[in-house]
Amino acid sequence: MSRSLILGFVTYSLIVAGIATLRGELIALALPFVAFLLAGYVFAPDKIKLEATRHLSAERVSPHQEVTVTVTIMNRGTGLEEVLIEDIVPAELKLRADSTSSSVQRFGTNRHLVRLPKDSSYTFSYTVSGPRGGYGFEKVRMRVRDHLAVTSREVQIEAKGQLFVFPPVTRLRQVSIRPRRTRVYAGTIPARIGGSGTEFFGVREYQPGDSPRTINWRASAHSVEGLYSNEFQQERVADVGIVLDGRVRTNEFARGHSLFEHSVQAAAALADAFLAQGNRVGLLVYAAFLSWTIPGYGKVQRERILHSLAHARPGGSEVFSDLGHLPTRLFPPESQIVLVSPLLEDDLKPLVQLRAQGYQVLLVSPDPVKFELSYLPQGGTIELASRVISMERTLLLQKVQRAGIQVLNWDVDDPFDQVVKRKLSRPPAWLRAVGR
Amino acid sequence: MTLVALVLSIIIGAGSLAYGYWQAGLTDPARWIVLMGIVWLLAHWRKYYWFSSVALLLAIVAAGYGVWREFPTVWMLPGALGGLLGWDLSDFARRLGYAAPTDDVKDLERKHLARVGVVAALGLGLAILSLFIHVRRLAFEVAVGLILLAALGLTRLVMRLRRF
Repeated sequence: MSRSLILGFVTYSLIVAGIATLRGELIALALPFVAFLLAGYVFAPDKIKLEATRHLSAERVSPHQEVTVTVTIMNRGTGLEEVLIEDIVPAELKLRADSTSSSVQRFGTNRHLVRLPKDSSYTFSYTVSGPRGGYGFEKVRMRVRDHLAVTSREVQIEAKGQLFVFPPVTRLRQVSIRPRRTRVYAGTIPARIGGSGTEFFGVREYQPGDSPRTINWRASAHSVEGLYSNEFQQERVADVGIVLDGRVRTNEFARGHSLFEHSVQAAAALADAFLAQGNRVGLLVYAAFLSWTIPGYGKVQRERILHSLAHARPGGSEVFSDLGHLPTRLFPPESQIVLVSPLLEDDLKPLVQLRAQGYQVLLVSPDPVKFELSYLPQGGTIELASRVISMERTLLLQKVQRAGIQVLNWDVDDPFDQVVKRKLSRPPAWLRAVGR
Repeated sequence: MTLVALVLSIIIGAGSLAYGYWQAGLTDPARWIVLMGIVWLLAHWRKYYWFSSVALLLAIVAAGYGVWREFPTVWMLPGALGGLLGWDLSDFARRLGYAAPTDDVKDLERKHLARVGVVAALGLGLAILSLFIHVRRLAFEVAVGLILLAALGLTRLVMRLRRF
């Protein structure tokens, strides 16, 4: 209840009682309360003119990395005797300081009780950390009271700040993909077209202008008609569409365990690797709704994709419950599609359809069976069930492979870069040249 | 600092009320008032800050009843004032709980106690003064008129003072 209301109630009760009983002593009792109320109203802050600025020690961080938020409050109005400042921290971010005094002194806190004389400023800092996501700091809440806290006013001052917690990006050295169609610019992906390159493609008749180094002397020796030159496979950049499966039914498991973070990490690492190779990469997050990052090149595109991945959340909807509604028109024809998904039985048909439409598909599938087993208690029934489910999954992956889809089955306990290196890396040019 | 002032306020308030009742021969209510003071202290210790508002109302009711029954006003007035100070300081202690360890709490406490002390002294002085000023005959209508005039005057005074 408001303090002024309690004081007013007591004061008027005593005065009314004094008048009703014609006892001056009752009115005398009310006088200290009158003095209290008057003092409160007289010294109540007239105009509250506060300004706030915010500075973050870093705006792009990795999960649970500490960030120091510094807030400065400036009082441009009359002096304020008691101001309770509370910076509104996004719910998912965690203050580093716990309730202990030493911890608060070291890491700071978002709540302070201060006096703010006229034209003065107050600066405080605190440390936060949080999981992957995009967080917006909007306002600082302040409760201003007079000398005796008779009046109280709450104001919210805007002090914007943005913090992006990006997924950790694992560096992948080489990811081997072979889309049917490539773009015109030189890159690292074999283009199935003869020309200049490093990998042997074929032999053709010598043409004026060919370097003598390219002459295939062995083939030329077999023919009396002329010389023959070696042709190499052109290496170009390609269009790569990464599809991140964020459906709840594929990612979420019992007791709050989720594979989604692993899928996000895999998507981030793959996007980084493809962009580093010069490819044009787009990202589609397939969850409760579609989140599409238009394809692009380079570092700017890497930022866009990481922003999108920072905001990605698993979700479920009737429309996107299966991969049947994957909008293939977003991806250029015959381009490379990389699907990051734990995969379900009914996802086979849409994948086969993708393949039939001419897309080259790479499936990166975090293994849900091993993931679940890692936290379930060991026992006869669970072991038996896991064997059955493992067999079903192996069968499903075999069917996918038979449809011409490249499959990377990833046990999330193994580092992703090592798994990629083992299964998807392209040997260096000199090793390919010696045919190993 | 605040805690000492709070404990003193509650002891003085409850003590003077209880003494006034005891002097008038009402020993049982005096014991209840002492008990209320103890409960108030315990409630503050256990951080049941809402109890201070209840205790303030109880103290005012006890002081008002005492005045009506013509117990010595000299004990009832400190009782009401002690209740007011206890209520204010209890809430101030609660607000201080929001302060961070790095905040200058001592300065806030010092300034608040000084102001509350001045206001309490002023209120007490006015109350004592009013006890000595006696208007022998005052018609009810005149009293009501004077109160309205006082309310209007106080409003004007507050408005004028706020301009400075």
